[in-house]
This record gives sequence, C-alpha cells and structure tokens, in this order.
Amino acid sequence: MDFGFIIQSLPLYWKAAQLTLTISVWAIGLSLLLGFFCSLILYFQVPVLSLIVKIYIEISRNTPSLIQLFFLYYGLTQIGLKLEAELCAVAGLTFLGGSYMAEAFRSGLEAVGKTQIESGLSIGLSRSQLVRYVIFPQAFSVSMPALEANAIFLIKETSIVSAVALPDLMFIAKDLIGMYYSTKEALTLLVLFYLILLLPVSLLLTALERKVRYGQFGN
Amino acid sequence: MKKTGRILAAVLAVVLALGTLAGCSQKSAQQSSLETIKKNGKIKVGVFSDKPPFGYVDAQGKNQGFDVYIAKRFAKDLLGDESKVEFVLVEAASRVEYLQSGKVDLIMANFTVTDERKEKVDFANPYMKVALGIVSPDGSQITDVSQLKGKKLIVNKGTTAETYFTKNYPDIELLKYDQNTEAFQALKDGRGAALAHDNTLLFAWARENSGYTVGVSSLGEQDTIAPAVKKGDKELLDWVNNELTALEKEKFIHEAYDAALKPAYGDSVSADDVVIEGGKIQ
Repeated sequence: MDFGFIIQSLPLYWKAAQLTLTISVWAIGLSLLLGFFCSLILYFQVPVLSLIVKIYIEISRNTPSLIQLFFLYYGLTQIGLKLEAELCAVAGLTFLGGSYMAEAFRSGLEAVGKTQIESGLSIGLSRSQLVRYVIFPQAFSVSMPALEANAIFLIKETSIVSAVALPDLMFIAKDLIGMYYSTKEALTLLVLFYLILLLPVSLLLTALERKVRYGQFGN
Repeated sequence: MKKTGRILAAVLAVVLALGTLAGCSQKSAQQSSLETIKKNGKIKVGVFSDKPPFGYVDAQGKNQGFDVYIAKRFAKDLLGDESKVEFVLVEAASRVEYLQSGKVDLIMANFTVTDERKEKVDFANPYMKVALGIVSPDGSQITDVSQLKGKKLIVNKGTTAETYFTKNYPDIELLKYDQNTEAFQALKDGRGAALAHDNTLLFAWARENSGYTVGVSSLGEQDTIAPAVKKGDKELLDWVNNELTALEKEKFIHEAYDAALKPAYGDSVSADDVVIEGGKIQ
C-alpha cells in the first residue's frame, strides 16, 4: 500500500463522493415522487394511465440501467436531442428507481385491509380523508423497508454514471488505475468511500424506519 | 450506539483484510512462462476491440488489425500455427492489470512505452512510432493547443493523451471515456470541442469520417509502441525481441502495414513514419 498516494488522492475521491451523493439525492427524490404517483394511478386504477404505468414499470425493471443511460446519452443525440451528462444520469436513475419505488408504495397500499377502508367509510370519512388518515399512514409504514432498500440500491447504482464521463467515485478509481496503475490503493479507497457514504445513510434510514413504524416497534 | 460501533469496526477490519490480500497476490508468478504457453498450446494476447485499424473486431466477429496481424505471426513462430493465439479484448485503462493478474501473456493493444508504464510492466522492443494528435470538426477546427482553453477536450481513459494533458495542460477540461467508440461518438455528438489520441489512430479515423480533420497532427514527444509482458517475464520478453529481429529480414512489419494500415491511411502517411523494423528506430 502506498499511503502517500492514498492521501494524495483523497481530495479527488472527496469531490467524486460529492457528485455521487448529489446525483443520488436527486435520483432518490425524483423516483420517490414518480413512484408515488405511479402507485396511486395503479391503486385507483385510473383508466389509460394505469396501462401506461404498467408498461413503464415493465420496461424500466426489465432493462439494464447501463443501457437506459446509454440510450439517454448516446441514443437521443441521434434524433437531435442532446442532454447533458448530469441530466442523463439523474433522468436515467429516476426512470429506473421510479418503477421500484412505485412497486414498493403499491405493496404498502394494497396491504391496508379492506375492513379499514370500510370502517372509515362507515363513519362518514370522505374519500380524501380516508386516503389521508387511514390508507397513507398504514401504507407508508408497510412500504418503508422496501423504500429504504431502493434508496440504497439507487446510491449504489450511481456507479454506472462513469460510463457517460461523469467523474463519480467509480470514474475516479478507474481513472487513477488507468493513469498511475495503482490498482490496490484506488480500489481500496473506492470500497471505503462507498462504505463511508452508505453506512450513515443505512443507519439513518433504519432510525427513520423505527420512527415511522412506531406502531410495530413501540415509541 | 455501542452496536453501531462494533459493526463499523468489523466492516473496517474486513476492508483492511481485503486490501492486504490484494497486496499479497503479486509475487506468485515467476515460473517459466514460455513452457506454460507451449504446454497450453496457446498464447493469450491482449488486443483492442475498438481501435481500427490497429485492433478491432470485424463483422464476422474476428479480431483484425495491425497489432493482431503481428500477434498472429508471433503465435505461428512460437507454436507453429497462427490459430494458436487467444485474443483477449482489453480497454486502454485495464492493460496493465490484465498483465499483472496473468489474464494475458502479452499485451499488443497499441501500448505506448512510457516511464510510468515501465515501472509496472516490461516492454519488448518497439514495432511502431506514434505521437499525439488532436482531431476536431472542420467548422471549428483546433489547430493549436492554446485554442482549447475553456473548452472540453475528449480523451480516452488510460491513454497517453490523458496523461499528457493532465500533466502539461491541467486547465483544459477533459471529458474521459472508457472506450474509443464512446469517445468518438461523444465527439460526433459535439460534447467536446476536440478529441486527443494517438495521431496514428486519428489519421485513419479522420479519413473515414468526413467533416473531421486532424488539426494538430503531432504533439508532445515522438513515442514508440511495443509489446508488453508481465514484469519479470524475461523469457517471453527475450523471445519477442529475438522474433522482432528475425522478422526484420523479411520486412514483416512493413507487410503488416500494407495489409492493415495502408487501406486506412491511403497515401496520406508514409510507412516509414509509422513502422519500426527489427525493434530499432533507424
């Protein structure tokens, strides 16, 4: 191990980690939003839209994310649409994450018992009250673990954006290997930085889960 | 929080152990390489898949190109048949690792000799000359490096072009890609103002792609390209050097030039600007 080299490369990795994090935050936020709306469309069986959502989910979940990214970056330019690499990365990961988030939300929504809804209706709750006070709180608590897993999945999935010349963690590691051939140091730093990034997120999400699911865990 | 601390400690321990393991695996491969190659009846050679006319895969899925042409001859003279070569496709940035980890015996992926690389692998004598060049669209041609200030320059990761610009022009913003095909596609999509690479490659590419010109045809020092073996593999190194000397008599590298490079260059380049016979610059 060349520790001088490691210390020298730390700033590069730090900068790359920030990019990885920025892309992750955008991608997770937007996929939550997209997934949420898609799940509502599926749950309330909105005509036409729910068919579109179903097709979207199948396409998104059954094509590799790297290929989705390549399509956005290299494919769209063929029809004259040139998107910046950052935009491609966020759009690509949102496209991927949205479907996973939608399925996570949907499983939560469907887990809310029929009796709950009927009881709500019988005491005269309006449809929107029913959604706000009965369905969502319970659905969200059930979806929580799956949403967390998806968030972490998306952070890890950002490692593909180096393919479109974005200097994220993976990119820096490969670049250092290519230029200075210090494979050991570059790869060890790569693993460490992903851990530094993901461990706190993981712990934070677990804490959040306990809070959201106090019904199960107790206060 | 006590539990969290313990988990963190365990994870760190595992990472450190992995790092140490990776460090250990380097010493093991000093046995006779030539004998192993002969026993296996094949030599594994790392070549490019996307750097025509030097190393590429043709429509039939066969490896073709200048480097491949020479590698096949090596196999014929070493093992008696040119089909006894197994081509392994490499990326520019992974060439050293392929040798170090023993995935290939020989790298013939248009590998420019540099001091940094010499520390990690052993180069045989050269068979080709090369310098850097810059290709750009005709409309906004780059004819001097100074024109690149404030613009994006496309390079391929792990190439001499990347190292050269990182060292000498740190203020030019580089867009770095893993594959040649991606880098050239990015140039065509207008993601950078120009692309820097080996001039020998750019001449061929610009001839194929109208609308692009090699505005800067020679940059930096004149370098050489040579086969590379794993550090310390003296047997194979000596064999390759002797082979190159032997091939000089029949001007074999010129033959390879005529077969693989001439169709791509036409008369725009003279063979002696590129070819090195017998492993020595005349």
